[in-house]
Amino acid sequence: MTLPGGLTASVRRLRVHPGRTLIAALGIAAAAAMLGAAVTVAYGLHTGFDRSARRADLPDVIARFDDQPQQRVDARLRTLPNLRARSYRREFTGVPLDANGHASQNGVLQAVGGGRRGYAIVAGRDLRRPDEAVGERGVAREWNISVGQRIGIGNARLRVVGVAVSPDNVAFPLAKGPRVYVSQSALSPRIGTRVNIALIWLNDPSLLDQTLTQARAASFGVGGLRFLTRAGVRTTIDQAAGIVIALLVAFSVVALCSAGVMLMASAQAEVERRLQGIGVMRAIGFSPRAVVGQHVLDAGVLALPAGAAGIAAGALVASRPSANLLESINELPPGAALLGPLALALLLVVLLVAGSAALPAWRAARRPVVSVLRRGELAPVSRASRFPAGFLGMGMRLTAARRGRAFATVAVLTISAAVVLAMLGMATLLNGLRNDPGLVGKRYQLTVNAPASEVAAIRRVPGVQAAAPRYVLFAADSFLLGESLKVVAYPGDHTPFEDPPLASGRRLRSNGEAEVGTGIADALGVRPGSELAIELPSGREVRFRVTGLVRAFDNDGRVVYTRPARLLAADPSLTGEIAVKLAPGADQRAVARRLFAGGHPAQRITGGTTRNASFLSVLAALLRAVALVDGLVCLYILVQALALTARERRSTIAVLRASGAGRREVLLVLAGAALVVVLAAAPAAVLLELAVLGPAVSHLAASYVSLPLHARAGQVAIVVGALLVLAVAAAALAGRRLQREPVVAGLRSD
Amino acid sequence: MLALLLVAAAAVAGCGSSGASDSTLHSTWIDPHHSGQLERGPGEPFVERTELARRSRPVRQLALFAQFTDAHVRDEESPARVPFLDRYGGAFSSTFRPQEALSPQVLTATVRAIDALRPQAVVETGDLIDNDQFNELTQALAILHGGEVDPNSGAPGYSGVQSRSSPDPLYYRPDVDAPRHLGLLAAAERHFRSPGLKAPWYPVVGNHDLLVQGEVAPTAALNAVATGSRRVVQLDPSVRVSAADERFAAAEVAHLLANGLPGRTAYTPPDPRRRLLQPPELLARLRAASAAGGSGPLLRYSFDIGPDLRAIVLDTVRRDQGSGGIISPVQVAWLRSQLASAGRRWVVVFSHQALTTFPEAQPALALLDHDPHVIATIAGNSHRNRIEARRTPAGGYWVITTSSLADYPQQARAFRLVQTADGRVALETWMIDHDGGDMAGVARELSYLDVQGGRPNGFAGARSDRNAILFR
Repeated sequence: MTLPGGLTASVRRLRVHPGRTLIAALGIAAAAAMLGAAVTVAYGLHTGFDRSARRADLPDVIARFDDQPQQRVDARLRTLPNLRARSYRREFTGVPLDANGHASQNGVLQAVGGGRRGYAIVAGRDLRRPDEAVGERGVAREWNISVGQRIGIGNARLRVVGVAVSPDNVAFPLAKGPRVYVSQSALSPRIGTRVNIALIWLNDPSLLDQTLTQARAASFGVGGLRFLTRAGVRTTIDQAAGIVIALLVAFSVVALCSAGVMLMASAQAEVERRLQGIGVMRAIGFSPRAVVGQHVLDAGVLALPAGAAGIAAGALVASRPSANLLESINELPPGAALLGPLALALLLVVLLVAGSAALPAWRAARRPVVSVLRRGELAPVSRASRFPAGFLGMGMRLTAARRGRAFATVAVLTISAAVVLAMLGMATLLNGLRNDPGLVGKRYQLTVNAPASEVAAIRRVPGVQAAAPRYVLFAADSFLLGESLKVVAYPGDHTPFEDPPLASGRRLRSNGEAEVGTGIADALGVRPGSELAIELPSGREVRFRVTGLVRAFDNDGRVVYTRPARLLAADPSLTGEIAVKLAPGADQRAVARRLFAGGHPAQRITGGTTRNASFLSVLAALLRAVALVDGLVCLYILVQALALTARERRSTIAVLRASGAGRREVLLVLAGAALVVVLAAAPAAVLLELAVLGPAVSHLAASYVSLPLHARAGQVAIVVGALLVLAVAAAALAGRRLQREPVVAGLRSD
Repeated sequence: MLALLLVAAAAVAGCGSSGASDSTLHSTWIDPHHSGQLERGPGEPFVERTELARRSRPVRQLALFAQFTDAHVRDEESPARVPFLDRYGGAFSSTFRPQEALSPQVLTATVRAIDALRPQAVVETGDLIDNDQFNELTQALAILHGGEVDPNSGAPGYSGVQSRSSPDPLYYRPDVDAPRHLGLLAAAERHFRSPGLKAPWYPVVGNHDLLVQGEVAPTAALNAVATGSRRVVQLDPSVRVSAADERFAAAEVAHLLANGLPGRTAYTPPDPRRRLLQPPELLARLRAASAAGGSGPLLRYSFDIGPDLRAIVLDTVRRDQGSGGIISPVQVAWLRSQLASAGRRWVVVFSHQALTTFPEAQPALALLDHDPHVIATIAGNSHRNRIEARRTPAGGYWVITTSSLADYPQQARAFRLVQTADGRVALETWMIDHDGGDMAGVARELSYLDVQGGRPNGFAGARSDRNAILFR
């Protein structure tokens, strides 16, 4: 195959300096890898729910209710407007399940009826006979169940004919119990035709609210009715997976932007390195347009394979952890659908590199030829500058002489380091969310399952500072039934126990008032002074006056704090727990032992995200992958900058060597050149992370709350130290190359 | 000769035209995506029904008239209502409707649509009002007569189960529930003007006109509740209610009210205009307003619609209790005399309950079955569009029921009697949508969504039950 003339010439030019081309290609590949990883994570997670819901044919509404004859429920459901399809299930919880030596007493058995299933079969086939079972992917993976094996369900052993995925909940073991589906006919002699779940598909999901209003109107006599909409399912999954997914997506977006900046800087640096060539071309009569065209072509020819390789590498590195993460939350990987976004990313890389090459090339080509040939960008450095004397200071001065390049290098290094800092901050936050309830506004440490009458006794236990009944229930907004929320009620002031920061308004003061999390407030459009109507699981409606909005982390900010009087009046069967706040310095374990001895077994409060170790290890792997790519990018930036400096100052360094400077002195010069950039970038990176990146990621991930995403002092020290090490490593790499060059060659270069 | 041909052509062309913009022959409301959202769709052409006679070309119009039925104009704020029974479904599903506050506006929108048709006569086939109340009848008659209508009762503004502050989510509350219509109830209680029916109108009495909730004869105890200041918001749990219990026998109601209102109550602004009407007063007001209706304790009478059509109105409403129909032997004898006096004119018989739906109507049906001039019986009550052919030795006739204005599809019906080319007749009938003005469109939307309403119950009927040419 022959290439067009321009391309051939371009390839030939790139081959003239294979080392330099390789470094440039590596730089592009590194940034592209970051982009590829970011796109893989962001696309996979951001589209995961919708993709899986579509594939699984997830219903628009899942209605749960107390057991009812199917015929009775169906007689009401079929009268709904906007109804496209419906099907029914009977769910049993606490079912003993066992397979392959694994067992659980918390199994969830769903007997599915005819009609649409609401799950996707990802292996094997669907149910056909009464003696068959379909296992959810989570349990199939954790228990190594394959199609054809048998699973014990209570006393029965059924053949597993398929593996299913349904994004209506997170997967086992993130979910409490493993889930298995059997056909209704398998258990019909025992359960008759009673059902407790209805799956509802709508013709126009945008009219969900009016359909739910009608469903409620038709629900009299159906106890325990709860509607879970697709949006609600998504919230449930988000809640189960913690804030992690949102953080990762937000982080990926930021990484994507920073990769773009790096690509641009890399391309600009490449043009600067070829300034002399541009001068020669102009001198022999090439037009500025021709010069720019050649550089764009060269950049494109380089960027296409390097970008493709980088994106592929980034995608490969991130795909496995990303897929594992998706599996944990019962979602499907994007598969071939990811190719489109990756192709777009590659196009973006090529365009960025080519575009970034065009601008400086154009600027250079427009300058006087003599100035370009003399590399006229060199600026004199004042002798009164504060750089130290000696070889280190000389290196610093060499870098500072190239103000434009030095600025670009510092900028890119700043962004890279800031991204690493943000990642570390995120890791700290995740750890905190797992272990530190205070981070999510909880000021109590233990809970006791006991009636409110026991509060006084619990308060008397040594080490207990305060105790109060705490009522929690999940309800829906009574006017917009698709909006679910969590209600937390304390009889008095809730702030000693839960203290989410007040965003606006004031704290509640009476039984008829409520503080509303900004997550649900935004969804409902309520503000201080608004009326909030809550439909309780019992079907009763309770109203409150909103006094303030709070930045609550709990339940994605879809939380309401109030007092329990009205809730108890509407539903006297409501029971709570007792929140226990420890005295400062009290030993949590000791207090828990005392409570246990007093007949009050206590539960320890954890943070706001999952405690599942495997899930968190998946996340750690993902973070490590991105951090690794980012570290490589930093190294590349430094090597690139030093290579340019060394090339420009070939003769200067040759003079030094001719004057007796050895390897150590040359290394010091180069280290100085690298250090000046690192020392400028490090504080800028800390500032950028604190002021911009952290808040931006926090806002993108969870606008309803302020996440403490800033890096801690130790982490800053680690990152700065790593940058210094990278600077030395880059100096060593560049120095080795210089040492290999004969001194005479360097002296001749000018 | 040419002039004659032109006249004949014009007459025939006129037979195919409804002459009204709200005619469903031109366009009607459809839910194209089955999403609960109604949109204007194409019209429904006539379906030719030839069960009783072969098809023949219409050549001359003999009569043009309209029917509307079951308007159920209601005082939805009245303490004599029992909306808390609605949730039990079944027979109680009509005790509350999401669109009930708009019943006067729906009737007015229907009046405008019928006026656009320019019929020779309009027949109202019963249940003009919902709860036998004086103020309900005042509103309904004002709408039919034309002029200022006051839909409010009690204190100014709305006070009832649908108010924003109502804590019972099983009722649709337009200010807060979906589909949200802010200020709808306040607007529904404001005075408005009705153009009134331009054509002569003829009333047929229905069970809701004469009985409280269409089931129980008015009593002093019930009247005290209606004009009182307390309304039941939740039935006492000890009161056993079964959705299969359609009949609220007077004795049962009296027993329930013996110790006051049977359940948790709330204050409601009282209004003496809510008093219950005894049958003589109600019939007198209907007769006075319509200038029709004969005399005596039953609202039975006849009238002519043009020279070729005689209309006979029967009173089929029980005066004691229940929504089932009744026709006494005396009325059967009267019917016989009316049929005889109709001579060679074609005959249509109007009643509230369709004569085919209660056994006591058998003697009356036997008379109609043997009369070759009877074209159709036309009724309401079922809230459902339906047209059935009744084959008889005398040639048969059509049994027609029409949907209500209370439930979806809220349509009236137009009739045109035409002479056909073979010397027989055909009755062209088509539905009329109300014009949707003054919030009546919202009422139609809500009635369509209602899970207990006309949509799930199929009240609109089949296409052949709506726009049809009924050959006879």
